[in-house]
Amino acid sequence: MKHIQTLDTRNLCESAKNGGCGECQTSCQSACKTSCGIANQQCENKESK
Amino acid sequence: MIHRYHLDDYYMVLDTCSGGVHVVDEIAYELIGLYESKTKEEIVAELSQRFHEDPAEVAECYDQVAQLKEKGQLFAPDTFENMAGELKARTSGVVKALCLHVAHTCNLNCSYCFASQGKYHGERAVMPFEVGKQALDFLVAHSGSRRNLEVDFFGGEPLMNFQVVKDLVAYARSIEKEKGKNFRFTLTTNGMLIDDDVIDFANRECSNVVLSLDGRKEIHDRFRVDYAGKGSWEQIVPKFQKLVAARGGKNYYMRGTFTHANPDFLKDIQVMLDLGFTELSMEPVVCAEDDPSALTAEDLPIVMQQYEDLARLMLKRWKEGRPFTFYHYMIDLTGGPCIYKRISGCGSGTEYMAVTPWGDLYPCHQFVGEEKFKLGDVWHGVENTGVRQDFADCNVYAREECRDCWAKLYCSGGCAANAYHATGSVRGVYKYGCELFRKRMECAIMLQAAMQMEGKGE
Repeated sequence: MKHIQTLDTRNLCESAKNGGCGECQTSCQSACKTSCGIANQQCENKESK
Repeated sequence: MIHRYHLDDYYMVLDTCSGGVHVVDEIAYELIGLYESKTKEEIVAELSQRFHEDPAEVAECYDQVAQLKEKGQLFAPDTFENMAGELKARTSGVVKALCLHVAHTCNLNCSYCFASQGKYHGERAVMPFEVGKQALDFLVAHSGSRRNLEVDFFGGEPLMNFQVVKDLVAYARSIEKEKGKNFRFTLTTNGMLIDDDVIDFANRECSNVVLSLDGRKEIHDRFRVDYAGKGSWEQIVPKFQKLVAARGGKNYYMRGTFTHANPDFLKDIQVMLDLGFTELSMEPVVCAEDDPSALTAEDLPIVMQQYEDLARLMLKRWKEGRPFTFYHYMIDLTGGPCIYKRISGCGSGTEYMAVTPWGDLYPCHQFVGEEKFKLGDVWHGVENTGVRQDFADCNVYAREECRDCWAKLYCSGGCAANAYHATGSVRGVYKYGCELFRKRMECAIMLQAAMQMEGKGE
């Protein structure tokens, strides 16, 4: 019996290999302006995903 | 590091360092909790008895957990600390986003305004075109190889200086091709001055528009009043509806603030939905602890409940084919930020700065008016390199309190301004905000899981 269902996620360890292009949106710039969170931002580097 | 929680029927296990998200049954949930402290035999004996389960079945569950660990999707070690700061070091001096304070004045007089009615504790002022133009030139000159440059028109109320906003956009558009840049403009407005001209401009030029509405009329009008003390709700709602209808699917957010007056902010979200808005953001107020609008310890359980109920409402409406967006629950598990972004913080003071009407640079809009944080100006660039370095050094590993927090790679160490106001140091931690943030992440990830499990996830 399968007890665990693993969702599709971006592997963060793998993203260390080709991440860091810096093109993504600056945190909090366009919506909240008063609290930080980066999880809801999109990666802009289509080749690294 | 792992984090386990359950919400309604969903038993969730998050693996902090791999980013893994697992939806598990109760046996696996308990088993994962015991995995690192007991042997397989001990775990199988304990759980088979507790759940009246066949030991072979529990042993199989144990093996599934072991496989996930082997694959690096559970109990992944934190190997990122040495990378912390690397991205910032690599991109040192590169600026890619500016918050232009085109108007340090406002046509509303909201007592809870973090910018003290738009004046940022200073004199009323509007930004002359020449200052804004120099700010854009500064941005282009310091943006290195970055193509996407973000500029937010902010205030006070930016539409009180609308002609300059239009002229600055026209100027940016005139140079972006030759400079190899792509400007993305956003506008944050209270709505009072929205007319057809503004709507046309915003929909043509702004990749995002942030519209300030607190929800229920009585909540909104409690704070968002004009200088005669008259509430603004009746005046702005039809304007917002017209702007959003004309927006044709382009991004916008209805952005509300909740305070001690409305910790039950889900009612305000419901009002926004009833008005036809679907892209929503509701933010906890930022103010001094002794301010009457500040959220209190007593408000906390109410707010936590709201976040859970919000996730339930979103799931329900999604199933009904009437989805809506909540800014803090937007989480793209497969396309979110890379690890460099996650450990390097929000970018304030380094790649993101705020510009005052007279051209001074500050680490972000929330530091404007705090003289000791002034970085320089748009003509001479950053001269206060000490402050810039303080912000460059802000990362998730720079805060002792963040080290053992499961949410550290979702928040990236939190907001430097919140930290400063709560503790006196940009490297401090605003604990109340952390509690809210962790709750939001739990709800957001549960919602993603629920949608994926239903087979219709995005």
